[in-house]
Parts: sequence; structure tokens; C-alpha cells
Amino acid sequence: MTGGAATLLQSNDTVLLPERIADLTGLGELGVAGELTAAFLGAFIVANLMLATTGVAGPWAKRKITAAFTDRIAVNHLGPAGIFVIVADSVRLLSKENIIPENADRPAYDLAPIIIASSALLGFAVIPMGSGVHLADPEVGLAYVFAVAGIASIGLVMAGYASGNKYSMLGGLRAVAQNIAYEIPLVVTGMSVVLFAGSLRMSEIVAVQNETVLFTIPGLEWAVPAWFALVNPFAFVLFLIANFAEVGRNPFDMPEAPAELIAGYQTEYSSVYFVLVYLGEFLHIFLGGAIIATIFLGGPAGPGPAEIGIVWFLLKIWAVFLLTQWLRSAIPRVRIDHLIEIGWKGLLVLSFANLGLTAAIVGVVFA
Amino acid sequence: MSTGLEKEAETSVDEIAELIGERAIARDDHLNAPGFVINPADVQDVLFDLRDVAGYDHCSCVTAQQYADRYETIYHLTKYGNRTDEVSIVVPTTLEEPVSQSGEPVYRTADWHEREAYDLIGIEYEDHPDLRRILLPETWQGHPLAGDYDQTKPQLVTLAEHANPLQADHHDTESETMFLNIGPHHPATHGVLHVKTVLDGETVVDVDPDIGYLHRCEEQMCQQGTYRHQIMPYPDRWDYVSSGLLNEWAYARAIEDMADIEVPEYAQIIRTFSAELCRIASHMLALGTFALDVYGEFTATFQYTFRDREVVQDILEDLTGQRMMFNYFRVGGVAWDLPEPREEFFAKTRDFLDELPAKVEEYNDLITTNEIFQLRCVDTGILEPDVAKQYGCTGPVARGSGVDYDLRRDDPYGYYPNLEWDVVTEDGYDNYSRVLVRMQEVEESAKIIQQCLELLEEWPEDDREIQANVPRTLKPDTDAEIYRAVEAAKGELGIYMRSDGTDKPARFKIRSPCFSNLQALGEMTEGEYIPDLVASLGSLDIVLGEVDR
Amino acid sequence: MSQDPKQSIQESATPSTDTRDARMGAGVDDRFNSKLREAFGASPFILTKFDEFMNWVRGNSMFMLQFGIACCSIEMIHTYAIKHDLDRFGAGVPRASPRQADVMIVPGTIVSKFGPRMKRVYDQMPEPKFVVGMGSCTISGGPFQEGYNVVKGAEEIIPVDIHVPGCPPRPEALVYGVLKLQERIRHGESSPVVVKPYELERFGDLEKDELVQKLASEIDEDDLVMRYNWADSP
Repeated sequence: MTGGAATLLQSNDTVLLPERIADLTGLGELGVAGELTAAFLGAFIVANLMLATTGVAGPWAKRKITAAFTDRIAVNHLGPAGIFVIVADSVRLLSKENIIPENADRPAYDLAPIIIASSALLGFAVIPMGSGVHLADPEVGLAYVFAVAGIASIGLVMAGYASGNKYSMLGGLRAVAQNIAYEIPLVVTGMSVVLFAGSLRMSEIVAVQNETVLFTIPGLEWAVPAWFALVNPFAFVLFLIANFAEVGRNPFDMPEAPAELIAGYQTEYSSVYFVLVYLGEFLHIFLGGAIIATIFLGGPAGPGPAEIGIVWFLLKIWAVFLLTQWLRSAIPRVRIDHLIEIGWKGLLVLSFANLGLTAAIVGVVFA
Repeated sequence: MSTGLEKEAETSVDEIAELIGERAIARDDHLNAPGFVINPADVQDVLFDLRDVAGYDHCSCVTAQQYADRYETIYHLTKYGNRTDEVSIVVPTTLEEPVSQSGEPVYRTADWHEREAYDLIGIEYEDHPDLRRILLPETWQGHPLAGDYDQTKPQLVTLAEHANPLQADHHDTESETMFLNIGPHHPATHGVLHVKTVLDGETVVDVDPDIGYLHRCEEQMCQQGTYRHQIMPYPDRWDYVSSGLLNEWAYARAIEDMADIEVPEYAQIIRTFSAELCRIASHMLALGTFALDVYGEFTATFQYTFRDREVVQDILEDLTGQRMMFNYFRVGGVAWDLPEPREEFFAKTRDFLDELPAKVEEYNDLITTNEIFQLRCVDTGILEPDVAKQYGCTGPVARGSGVDYDLRRDDPYGYYPNLEWDVVTEDGYDNYSRVLVRMQEVEESAKIIQQCLELLEEWPEDDREIQANVPRTLKPDTDAEIYRAVEAAKGELGIYMRSDGTDKPARFKIRSPCFSNLQALGEMTEGEYIPDLVASLGSLDIVLGEVDR
Repeated sequence: MSQDPKQSIQESATPSTDTRDARMGAGVDDRFNSKLREAFGASPFILTKFDEFMNWVRGNSMFMLQFGIACCSIEMIHTYAIKHDLDRFGAGVPRASPRQADVMIVPGTIVSKFGPRMKRVYDQMPEPKFVVGMGSCTISGGPFQEGYNVVKGAEEIIPVDIHVPGCPPRPEALVYGVLKLQERIRHGESSPVVVKPYELERFGDLEKDELVQKLASEIDEDDLVMRYNWADSP
């Protein structure tokens, strides 16, 4: 679906993954049908790449990282460093009995996990991951990413409401309150990047960051890439915080809040549905990481040839993932009213201040 | 010994007798306190006088029991300012009409105590705001600690369904509140507590702790055991978070005072030493689980406290042979001397003490100085000192509310009077204060252990007497009654025992600190948010084994 | 006033064994049976290999129910925590929701009031599910067996796969118990239920004996109840 749109919205200077596939396999000569097939193939590859990343992160890396923070070892009996627990865990989870509570609101209950997982997956369509892995590059790329990531909150509230469980309900309501409060600062901070880059197109945002700026400290000249994290660290920090709240990670893991709400909106989900919800959660962390990497950390940029860009890109999103796990181990959870307060009174104001400042600077410097 | 407060003036027996005057129908002195028998209709009257005129502001315990010819309720009163000034008010009622006036309007803490008396013995209390069963299921038949109870009769236990939040019956259109069951299986209840909560959005409107999911008949078990050996294993299982020795001491102290047994000095030092180790282990767990409640998952702080507990448990295991259920104290002493080689044991304990300051520092870095943590804990779960006293709160909960009350100092026992240490109090009245109190108490305990260690090291080898002479079968005098308490990890752990001349107690009543502390939960949390409810519950540091007994 | 246990048993009710019968069924343990096996009837080669794989999967990865009852739960936490680290064996992820758990460690004394709730939590777990009984109380009631309110062992209410004795068992013992459970699952074994007199029933379905009639005004017909009979358990 996204692949199909990509062919219509592609820009002229970047070669997208579906086109590449079309060229390599000769599908391009088969007209629209061929292009569609190529697009689907491309989407399939990207989706699987991300699912594989999550598969590694969920059952294994998360445990290993947490264990490292708490002086433990965690899984180490199946294969090297217990890596095969990924197979065992995923197959076991999928093979469990799927319990659907009696008073669940059926279609909504079934749809919620799918929405949660797929909304995050859709976001990856416009992320330039380097090494030519880039599905689509629409003019409104950044807006698109924010939009599809926002769909997840509908999934959360559906899950919370449809489960027929009070804890789920509370979790779902928290998720909505939280997402509304943090989506705006997130988007507004993202806007400041757009002001710099002058475009919503992801490839252009990345391209702008590939230039180098010269930092001149007396006695030392230092050339660094113009990553927006370095150009505007204030916006970077704002975006990082808003992003953690947006994806519901510590210290903002309100919707789940294990000690308070059992497991929040996902309390009633088991088996396949639980896997979807769990996957969705991790996909969202990675999507958040991907957005941060793309608009603040230069996307796939890094030393070495451009062909290994995807390695750098994955490293960057794993770094963001590592940060979420670090916070999970070390930082207490914020209370719900504080969370909302921080969102509306703190981040929102700061993000508008940041936007105004950026606009002024861009206006003065580049005018 | 800590300098502490000036003790409040002691009220002499004559003064009390004068105060009660005609209302006293007889005297029934207990080994620990003078006892006055009064009529069931005079309860509130007398208690009000004792509280307001004579200053008995602490209703430590309410004991109920059945004799062959009557029921009896005993109010064990004392003063927060002077713990050794005690008085017992005995209220007999007939078997045919076991109705007595409630003491609840005078002491809020009597609420649950009287409910328990109603539940287990069958005495009814007039004027009680909410007299229903507390430990046993609502549908239970009979009162198990009453004389004529038949344990072999079948019972029915109901299970009410957790209804859909959107169903009409739980959504009151006028108040727009939601009823929520927290527990008995919930990650934040520290066991099997059930908190019936009414929410208005995220705000807690009303909480009603429902206990009894771990009522293991501890009192019945102790009544079936002989004084000499069979009771001692049970205290370990009341407050089971490794504070076993502190609990054993409660029983040991009660029986030793009852049977007039003098414990050798060397054994007292070992007791003090090991009991304080238990306190550290227990406070570590309290800290860890509180961090769990505030942080949300099995995080670093939680894991670190368990790492440190392992060290304490290792030392205690070397000493007693068990990690948790020590059964190490004996009536009149302890089971055995320190393990050989002693130097190794001392070195191990010293290592632990040497590392402790660094660890406490680490906890301060991780928890108490964290801004989010302070945001969560400062000024939440407020428990004013007057309210704390009304609910009979003791231990770190009371000391976190600025009530300077510690039995180790106020009602000295063991080797505490000869050692240098301080009672820690904090004036924040909030969750944060309670955490600080526990963390500082760990340091104070370390001080005590350090001093005991030095004493033990230098103790002459030929004078290591660990056990007093105790008859093989202990039979205290008929109708001897005693109520004795010690400072356990959670507060004042008291034991009431009545002897009927046999080798088993006729009535064994446990005054659990958690039971009283938990009562105050409503006062602390109403009007606050769900996360604060969870945090306050964590800061009370309840152990359900001790609440339910 | 002491409550000496009665030597003779009165008013004994016949144990109801619905769960046991449903659970044991015919043939191999139901928990391992797949729809495919039912369709094929016997066990063709491919299914046998598949079963082996599934047993390997289930035996090597389990989410534990975050479930604390009494004393043993403290040792259970120690088993999860730094020194003993149960997660080494792929069995250390605690889930607070029973819907996402595979193994329930029952750590402590079960009393009459908690019995129905524990049964409910067990029922909420998805199949295949396993139970490790931790400590003497889950075997027989342990030191509290003679208490008027104590259920004499977890097996009275739910089926238990592995019993870990001790009061409480050391963390090492619990690790051993979990490993034994994993071993059994890998071999496709699980225990049948031996004793099980306590069931959740609709109040209206109960036999109208003296007790039921007495309580008829207090309990709604549709409410679930569990019979507790101290004298009737072994």
C-alpha cells in the first residue's frame, strides 16, 4: 500500500527500494502490476527487517540489557548468550491459548492489537535507512510519520475500552491523555527541524545534515556534521523527552504502569494478541528511535562508505533503545498528573519557545 | 542508650483507681500492668477519662477471650510518652449476651481490633461503626477461637465477580465514581491484600482494606503448642521478611517475664546482635519493594537491595542455620553459641558493616536524591502525628510522622540500654519521611551491631553462657496474664498470654504492628491519586503474614 | 479452649472432581494435545517431531506469574534477584497479568478466603500452564495444617506439577524445582491431579443441606462459591 503510493510520490534524486527491485528483477517492464509487486516486495523486506529487530529486542536484548543494569546474567543456556530463547519465546507465545474475555467488545478487541502493531510498521515506510533501503519519499514525509505513529493511541484506547477490564480502561484513558499532551510538543519540536531543513521530505532533511559546520573554539577548529542534535541540542532534548512519553517508556510508562495497573491496556491480552501488542510496543520504540535518528542524528550518515549506511542507522536506533532501557532501570515513574503538567505547562511552552527561536535564527541567518 | 525525650509523668495506680472510682467493679492485675474490671456499659466513659485526664493516648491492643463462664475484652493502654506506664481495662460480658460498648470513639485503632474480636471470639460491640468479619470470609459460620467451635464443620466461601466497568451497576450517574478491586492478587499489594477502592477518575475517593487472605490461625497454632519449644517456630512466620528473630524475641520476652526467667548477659548480646541484623534485612526489603512500587518494575534499586539482603541472610544463616525461619531463640537464651571459627564469622560481619555505608550512599544516590522520586514521595501519603497515635501506629510509620517512640529505648529490654544509638524521627509525615527513617535506622542498627560485635569478641571464653536454667516443662502460675511488646521491624509487636496452669497457653494473642499501621491507609490516601495509594501502601511496609496472622 | 483436631470425620461431602476429570481425560495429558493430533488420530512421524519441538520450546521459555502469597514469596523474589537469577534458564520474566503467564509458582499458605481467588487466577492463565508448589504449605498446609482456616495444600484447589519442599525452600531448591519442571515438559510429561475436593460452583447448584439453607438469604444464586471442609481433606 505504502509502496504503491511511493511510486507516485517519489522524488527525483533518490532511488527508492521498490524501483531498485523493479530494475533488478525486471518487474518494472511489466507496467503498473510489476511496479506494485516490486513495491510490495520492498515493503515486505523493510517490515521484516524491523520485525527481526524487534524480535531480537523483545525476548532477548531487553532481558540482557536489564540484567546488565542489575548485576545479573539473564538467559544463557540456549545457544550463545541464550540467543535461541528468541525462538523459544516467540513460538511459545504464539502457541498459547488465546483467551478472549467474555465481556470483551469483540471487533474492537481484535482490531486493537493489529492497529497498535501496524501503525508503527507503517511509519517505517518513509524512513531513509541508508544503503538504499527507503520505501517512499513523499513530500510530507515527516508529517506522515507523526500521523501514523499517532494512530497507535487509538489502538491503545480501543484495547483499554474493549477488554472489559477496569485496569485496561484506566490504562487506555491514561494513554490518550498522555498522547494528546505530548504529541503537540513532539510535532512542534519537529517543526523547528523543518524550519532548518526547509522541507518535510525525509531525504532532504537527511541531506541537509550531511553538510559540515565548523565549530571554532579559540585554539581549536573542529569540523562536525550538521546533525540537528548538534546544531540545536535544545530541540533534541525536548524531542527525546516528548518521544519517550509518546511511546510510553519510563519514566512515562503510564499506560502500562505494572505496579499500579497490572499491565494497563494489555492486561487481558494473551497469546497472539499479546505478541502483537508487545511487538507494537517495541516497534514504536524503534520508530521513535528512527525518527530521532533521521531528523536529529543525520539518518544513515556515518564514517565509511555510504553503502554501510544501514549499519549506522540501526546503531543509532539501538542507541535510543538502550537509552529507554537505561531509564527503565534507573528512573522512577512520574505520576499521571505530573506527567500531564510537564506536558502542557513545560514541554509545550518550551517547544513553542524553541520554534520561535529557531524561526528567528533561521530568518536572520539565512535571510 | 539514646538520650531521647523526657518521659511523661507516670500515673500511679492510686490515681487511676481514683479516676475510675465507682465504675471499677474489681481489680484484675496483670503481670505487666494494673487491671481494672469495669461494666460493659462504662467502656467509653472510662476510656475517655483515661485518655483525656490521665494521658493514656496509646491503645496498644485489644484482646478478647472466652472463659468457661464469661467473655472478656481487655484494652491494653499505655502512653506514647511513657511506654512503661501501662494499664489494662478488663470488660467482662456474659455468655448469653456478649455485648459490650465499643472503644472505637475513643481510640480509632479499636475499630479493627474489635472487628477481629467479633470475628474470632464472637463478642459484639455496641456503637461500633462497622461491625463485620475482618479475617474470615463473610459467610463463615461460628467463631473459631470461642469455646464451642467445631472445626470439622464445612464452610462456604464466596467469590464475587469483577464486573465490567461499563455496566450500569458500577457506574453511579450522580457521583461518577468507579469501584475498583485492588488485589488480592495484584503486584502492588505486597502479598494478598485486597483494597476496595472507589475512584473518581484517577483520584481515590475511598479505600477499604480487606484482609484475611493469609489468616493462618497463628494464634490457634500457638495455643496448641507448649511454651517450652513448640511456640517458638511460629513467630518467624508472622513477619516473614527475615525479621524472624525480632518476632521470636517478642515471644521470648513475654514468656521470660511470665515465668520469671533471667537471660544471661552473653545471650542478651547475641540476641541484640542478631535481631538488629534482621532489622537491616527487613528494612532493605521495605526499601526495595517501595522502590518497586514507585519505579514500576524489577529495577536496579530493587535488585540491589536483594543483593544486600543476601549478605545479611548469609551471616544469619551461619549463625542460626536457616535463611529465614531461624528458630534460634530459646526460652531463657539462644539455641547455640556463635559459629566456629568465631574469627571468620566476625570477619564476615565486619566486612558487611564496612561495606554498608557505601551501599547506603548508593541508595541515597539512586533513590532519595532523585528528583522524580522526591516529586512522587514528598507530601504524599500524609499521616499527621495525632492521627498516627489515634490509629496506634508504631515503628518507622510513627517515627516518620514525628512520633518519638521506640520500645528499645522506652521499654528497655535486651542489651539496648547499654549501647550507644539514636531513635530516628522525621518530621515530614509523608512517604518520603518513612523511607528516610528506614534508611537511617539501617545505619543505627549497624552501629548497634558494631558495638555488640566488639563485646562478643572480647567476651571471656569461660563466661559464654547462652542459656538460663529453664524447667523442662514450663507451667506458669494459673491465671497469670501478661502483655509484653518489643520493637519489631514494623513497630510494636506485642503478645498477650494467659496461663491456665498447663504447659500450653489458654489464650495467645498477637498484637501486630502492621495490623494497626494498615488501618491508617484510608487517612493517608483519600483524595490522592492511584500511584500515591500504591506508594503509601508500600511506605507502610506491611507484611500480610503479620496483618492476618 | 484449644482446638484439638477431631479424630473422626463428620458430615463428609463426596469430593467433586470435575476439574480432575476434565483435565485428565483420555490418553496423553490434554495440555500437550493439538487439534492436528485429534484430526490425525494417531501420531504420525511429522507430528511427533513437531511435538518434540514444541516441548523444547515450552520447556525452555516461560513467563512466570508475579504471584506472592506468604513467606515463600520472599525466597521466590530472591530466586529472581541478583544472586540466583532464575532468568538464566529462560524462566525469569515476571508478568503481573495471568493472561500472559505460563507458570504459576504458588509461594505460601492458602487459606479458605484465598482459595477461590487462587483458583480464579489459575483459570485466567492460558493453556498450556504449569504450577510449581513452593514450600510445605502447598504440599500439606505445612506448619499450619491444623488451622481452622487453612487449605491443606495447593493441590486441593489446582493441579500442581512440581512440589518443592522446605519451609521455605532455599532459592537453590526452587531453581532445581523449576529445572525439573522444564525437564518434564521437555519430555512431554506432566502430573495428573491426585486430590481435588475444592471446586468453584454456582451457589444455586449446591445440594440444599443445612449450611446452604442457612446462607441462602446472604448469597445470590448465581454467585460462585467454594466449599471449605477442613476435616475432609487428608
